[in-house]
Amino acid sequence: MDGTIDFTMGLSQGIAWPWPIAVYLFFAGISGGALATAIFIRFYKKQTENTAFYKAAAIISFVTISLGMLCLVLDLTNPLFFWRILVYYNLNSVMSIGVIALTAYIPLTAIIALLALEDELRAIPALKVLMPVIEKLKAVRKPMEVMVLILALSVCAYTGFLISALIRFPIINTSVLPALFIASGISAGAASAKMLAVSLFKEDLHSQDMKLLHGAEWPIMFAEAMFIFMIATSLMTGNAGAQSAFAAFHTGEWANVFWFGVIGIGFAGPLLLNFATSKSFSHSAKAFYASGVCAVTGMMCLRLFILYAGQNFAI
Amino acid sequence: MSENIERRRFLKCLGASSLIIAPLGCSSIEEESDANKPHYVMVFDQNKCTGCGECKDACNVTNNLPDGKSRMIMEQQSGGVAGETCPHCGKKNCDCERKYVRVSCQQCKNAPCVTVCPTGAAHRDEKTGIVTMDASKCAGCKYCIGACPYDARFINKETDVADNCDFCLNTKLSKGELPACVQQCRYDALIFGDANDPTSYVSKLLRVKDSVRIKPGFGTEPSLRYIPIVKLGV
Repeated sequence: MDGTIDFTMGLSQGIAWPWPIAVYLFFAGISGGALATAIFIRFYKKQTENTAFYKAAAIISFVTISLGMLCLVLDLTNPLFFWRILVYYNLNSVMSIGVIALTAYIPLTAIIALLALEDELRAIPALKVLMPVIEKLKAVRKPMEVMVLILALSVCAYTGFLISALIRFPIINTSVLPALFIASGISAGAASAKMLAVSLFKEDLHSQDMKLLHGAEWPIMFAEAMFIFMIATSLMTGNAGAQSAFAAFHTGEWANVFWFGVIGIGFAGPLLLNFATSKSFSHSAKAFYASGVCAVTGMMCLRLFILYAGQNFAI
Repeated sequence: MSENIERRRFLKCLGASSLIIAPLGCSSIEEESDANKPHYVMVFDQNKCTGCGECKDACNVTNNLPDGKSRMIMEQQSGGVAGETCPHCGKKNCDCERKYVRVSCQQCKNAPCVTVCPTGAAHRDEKTGIVTMDASKCAGCKYCIGACPYDARFINKETDVADNCDFCLNTKLSKGELPACVQQCRYDALIFGDANDPTSYVSKLLRVKDSVRIKPGFGTEPSLRYIPIVKLGV
């Protein structure tokens, strides 16, 4: 910057995207991750019945994406302007493409939830009107599931693309971010759906589905850790701007969120609970819930860290 | 003798290479269509700016901005070296050597705010190519604010939508006038015009004066150019 002009003041005063966006990224990740995992297992194991995990994932994905939308709308400067995003489109904008994906994804998650909870809904007399609708929707269940699987992964990835388009923040503007968000979305989504399946739908802790999920957990977590390592390394070895942003990993409050939240709770927590404790404890319900909560908390911390530390270190 | 041969060889090569390169240059269609359109640029001369702030006041009045918000601000920068005594006043902390920098929308040719805007509210005016806002389309998502590498966009609290300096496109340019800040400046520190018009004052100025762009590394190609302060007697 020697000999050139620059300015350090800005007109916007403060960070553009505060915590509701991080919460939205978190909810969208869980929604996409949970549903993608459930449908993948359904296809992989050629299941035809509504399993406990599938039901739990369907509920979670619909509820979390709805809450995420609420965060998104409330974060607009005027929530009443929300309709404008649905009416006007700019296909160069990642956000606009995301809106298109979400307008297909959200109704589909609602339909998937209806189909998954068929038996539960049948038990409620007031909801009898829904039964003929569910019967009709059953005919197109398979193609809808294929589509929602693609959309669920797209929604996870899109949250990464959405923020990685912000070119002035070295931590955010990385091509690994969508992959990281898919991996962390799957691990937190699967963890929360697992917990709901066991608590609400009385799934056995050591059932076939649960065993498959437990097996997939570690490679996904490893991928996540590797993506974070890639981002950190590329910053550390990058140009001066990237190197100055690397400070986010060792200075300031967001470094604490990263080390205690993401690394401590998110990665070390489940690892210690499963491998550093006695076999009787690590197979207990307590350890199961604790490591599930760890995975979800770690993911929320990751979104907060990326968004806040990212925006604090601009070039 | 040897000098002569060198020159002859140089001219030969020049002729040959121009024959090869010239057709490539002429075949660019984009270049041609660009030349027909105006490319409005603003030059801020740091040597002339005194930091009076009247440009900002004029902008606020012209564009009806709410209190406390402006489409442009002046940043005062000190040329002193931290921790060292100022040679002028003898103090350690002073702003003897005052420099001012105009902070406002850089009117990028490759504008990130236009690319990311989901509704097309942040757009390029068709006739002038100036980046401006269609307030009726803006949803207030603040994506453009995060995407702008210059932090030059803000939310207008009265309208709840994003805003930026658009060279007074609707308030002055449409009437054939210069932007309010340029009209107001008593020191000729702001020069505005069409860089694609070779006869315009701006084009002539840019031909003879060294100017810089802020953060050119982002590749956004700003249309706001700055003439840095020239130190005399050093």
